[in-house]
Amino acid sequence: MRRVLTSAAVAAALALAVTACGDGSGDPGAAPAKSAAPAEVSGTITWWDTSDATTEAPAFKELVKDFEAKYPKIKVNYVNVPFADARDKFKTAAQSGAGAPDVLRTDVGWVAEFASLGYLAPLDGTPAVDKPEDFLPVPATSGKYNGKTYGVPQVTDTLGLLYNKELLKKAGYDEPPATMADLKKVALDVKSKTGAGGIALNVDAYFLLPFIYGEGGDFVDVPNKKITISSPQSVAGVKIVEDLIASGAAVKPALQDSYTNAETAFKDGKVAMIFNGPWSNADNLGGKVFKDNPDNFGVAPVPAGSVKAGSPLGGHDYTVYAGSKNLDASYLFIQFMASAESQAKIAGKLGLLPTRQSAYSAPEATANPKIAQWQKPMETAVERPWIPEAASLFQPLLEGYQKLAAGQTTTEPMLKDVATAYQGILKGWSL
Amino acid sequence: MSRAARAWSRDRRSPGKSVALHLTLIAASIVSVFPVAWLVLTSLKPRQAIESASVAPIDHPTLANYTQVLGETRFLTWAANSVVVSLVTAVLGVLLAATTGYAVSRFRFPGFRSVMWMLLITQMFPVAILIVPIYNLMAGLGLINQFPSLVIAYLTSTVPFCAWMMKGYFDTVPATIDEAGRVDGLTPFGTFWRLILPLAKPGLAVAAFYSFLTAWAEVAYATAFMTGDDKYTLAVGLSQFVGQHKAEWGLLTASSVLIAIPAAVVFLLVQRHLVTGLTAGATKA
Amino acid sequence: MTADVVATGRAAPRSGARRLLARHWYAWAMTAPVVIVTLVLVGYPLVRGIYLSLTDATEATMGRTIGMNVIPPTYQFVGLKNYADILTSPEFLGRLTWTIVWTVVCVALHVSIGLGLALLLNRPMRLRSLYRVLLVLPWAVPSFVSAFIWRYLLNGEFGVVNAMLRAAGFNGIAWLDDPFWAKVSVIACNVWLGVPFMMLAMLGGLQAIPRELYEAAEVDGATPWQRFRHITLPGLSPVSSTVVLLGTIWTFNQFPVIFLLTKGGPGGSTEILVTYAYREAFEGIRNYSGSAAWGMVILALLVVMAAVYRRALRRQGEAW
Repeated sequence: MRRVLTSAAVAAALALAVTACGDGSGDPGAAPAKSAAPAEVSGTITWWDTSDATTEAPAFKELVKDFEAKYPKIKVNYVNVPFADARDKFKTAAQSGAGAPDVLRTDVGWVAEFASLGYLAPLDGTPAVDKPEDFLPVPATSGKYNGKTYGVPQVTDTLGLLYNKELLKKAGYDEPPATMADLKKVALDVKSKTGAGGIALNVDAYFLLPFIYGEGGDFVDVPNKKITISSPQSVAGVKIVEDLIASGAAVKPALQDSYTNAETAFKDGKVAMIFNGPWSNADNLGGKVFKDNPDNFGVAPVPAGSVKAGSPLGGHDYTVYAGSKNLDASYLFIQFMASAESQAKIAGKLGLLPTRQSAYSAPEATANPKIAQWQKPMETAVERPWIPEAASLFQPLLEGYQKLAAGQTTTEPMLKDVATAYQGILKGWSL
Repeated sequence: MSRAARAWSRDRRSPGKSVALHLTLIAASIVSVFPVAWLVLTSLKPRQAIESASVAPIDHPTLANYTQVLGETRFLTWAANSVVVSLVTAVLGVLLAATTGYAVSRFRFPGFRSVMWMLLITQMFPVAILIVPIYNLMAGLGLINQFPSLVIAYLTSTVPFCAWMMKGYFDTVPATIDEAGRVDGLTPFGTFWRLILPLAKPGLAVAAFYSFLTAWAEVAYATAFMTGDDKYTLAVGLSQFVGQHKAEWGLLTASSVLIAIPAAVVFLLVQRHLVTGLTAGATKA
Repeated sequence: MTADVVATGRAAPRSGARRLLARHWYAWAMTAPVVIVTLVLVGYPLVRGIYLSLTDATEATMGRTIGMNVIPPTYQFVGLKNYADILTSPEFLGRLTWTIVWTVVCVALHVSIGLGLALLLNRPMRLRSLYRVLLVLPWAVPSFVSAFIWRYLLNGEFGVVNAMLRAAGFNGIAWLDDPFWAKVSVIACNVWLGVPFMMLAMLGGLQAIPRELYEAAEVDGATPWQRFRHITLPGLSPVSSTVVLLGTIWTFNQFPVIFLLTKGGPGGSTEILVTYAYREAFEGIRNYSGSAAWGMVILALLVVMAAVYRRALRRQGEAW
């Protein structure tokens, strides 16, 4: 199973949907970047890391130590901020001008919002953006807003189809389903032949995206300022989900703690398939049916819809607070943390997917089987709409999805309601 | 309780009634204790047993969650922070609430009703909406990531309630005591400090416990104001166990138990006072 | 409100400022620390909130300078538009209705269960202090921890409540996933949290009622119900009036229980006004004017409630 991912393969594979983002109008005045000689830079910077405090943070803290060893005049104040609190906490601090960190690990979905509000420093031409051509094209789009770079990609991820090989084999399949139609068929066969459930759904708007992308739909069409969540394509995508639930191919999903319940069912062998990201690998491999038999655990790209196989791009970027008192040190810190060597270290230790092509071929990274395992799924990653309002788009769809999963509504009226809610969020956009 | 009263009550209860009384109280106690007991049991399970469809009260019991919480996180630092913030809030809260409560209990001064309304209105404004303006105030005072910012924010919610409660309590202390103080030539402050406060000790204990618990358990302000993880309180630190993609139930429950124990112990210590305090608060002068 | 503190003269005969000061300086001095701190910390946001609620200020339109980024303020005065938007939004009435149901049911259960347990505990019996400790335990556990426990207990898959139901041969209930049961669940959790406080408050009130009253009533041949109705209830009212008023305010604004237990779901069915306002105003680009208007609407509702309540109390002769 262990395959080496060459940089060329990734480059070719990931050069999918690269579209210009934003309309390029003027934005808050940005000072031309000046850079001091790296060795002269000194002072203290604060970094808010949002990685998992118990499993991931130690590896990042080690990198911080390496950085301090390389630049002895710079001290880094490492603070682990729980992911769920980080966005609100940063915004409260950033607008006030007191208490915000110099560098923030920012979810790819937050960059455009923070940048549009003037909270972030543009990084073009600073040491922070180092060898930009080495970054994978799709993740790199997440750091850009209005034609400027505000975020440097740290790690990337996407959703894949995780499956229980034994259960699939019992149902008569050696390969995971490659299309949404096959997904339903395999799921129903698993259900009838093994007694386990077919697929576990996580009732979360983000996890609807592979179905919507597969039919050529999306939340919005950014260049044309159009709301497309109730377009025929998006409707077709969500209808697949509705059908999976109605037909029994999917087990009845939980709405609260939906993620945990779906994961638990998958880990316990009560269900054969689940959509999830690389972050869940360790959790899954500790589960009842994989602990003693890791080869039973399979990872595949999300099944293709009638148009393509597509899953949302996730991950994190490094950003710099515009009010930082020590911009130069912050730039150097990002340069170091986002370098191919640092990324390879993180990939090797934590199995987080690098955003630099060159990091994939580094021996440290290839030593972790997870990196190769996720090569194919990463090829399906689709750029998300990088607009300031993006984060607000999930809640209305989540509420709609919950109602759909509970059988209180059907796809069309539900998506119509969501589109109406979007019109309230995206002023002036057309349907 | 006098012997006569005891006889009055017990003699009248038939055995059937007595059984019904105890059964009702036992049932209520089970409902009350069960969730907490389950929390304790859960904290003793490994991760795989916690997130499993087969539910057993005891499943591979282990203390690993506790050793990890105490050994690998900054739990003790956060606990110390919480103790400091809660104690200061309790002491200051009681002092401020007592003087205010005494004033509104004894004096009918211009503005009396406004003060009562003000104390009520501060309870009515949703905290979630106050956070940003109060953060900006604290930032202006240079108090971000400092404990005083938390203490001040907590006082705005504990003092009004405690003042209301203390008023009820002071109402029960006979006015003749104030009179005696005045005859002895004490100022109103002197009367309050030397004569009334000592009589009000149980009421003070109630207010102190209430303030302590409020500060001990508060999350929203603490999350916004404390920007360094060396300054987190327990409630904030606890949220570190909820990651982006998964919650560490074992660590969460273990630290919840560790957080609840001191609160429960403090409570058990003051509970006698608590009842007496409210008792006295109930009788009107 | 601010002006009132200094200017109202209803309680004292109108006279010169100097005489007022001489007579009342100590009362003012004793309340001053609390009044000043409250006015700064709550009064300032309140006044600013009123102003913002009349504009269209958001996180994007408030002016600010952060490092190299200078953003000019572009928000405008819009009059009562925010209030009109809230009051005419299709969600408002539904949310308000559920918030009122939630508040009334929770407070009614708090008071009735609290009073019931207090009546049981207010008599000599064996194990009384043990019962008291056990029954009060939920109050000693911080409420965010309690919400976590409840979410875990009620989990459809690995929650113990459903496990017991299944063991007893029933089907599990979708506690947090079904709109109706989710409402039952949040109310159950909040009642569990709130009963101990009510119970202690009521117990205190009961213990303060002079025994002699009951004995005299018994001599007169009063039935247990008559004694409860004519001695217990009136004797409790000093305590119960305060805790009912504050309990209503707290429950109306009970953010953590709803937010931690269901996040307002499923499909927004357990969302009360406060959690809804928080979501409306703070999700995505923060809507400062909207959140301020929401705050004012909630405040106004509660002030009206408190005013009505106070009138009722005054009629019973409890002045404040």
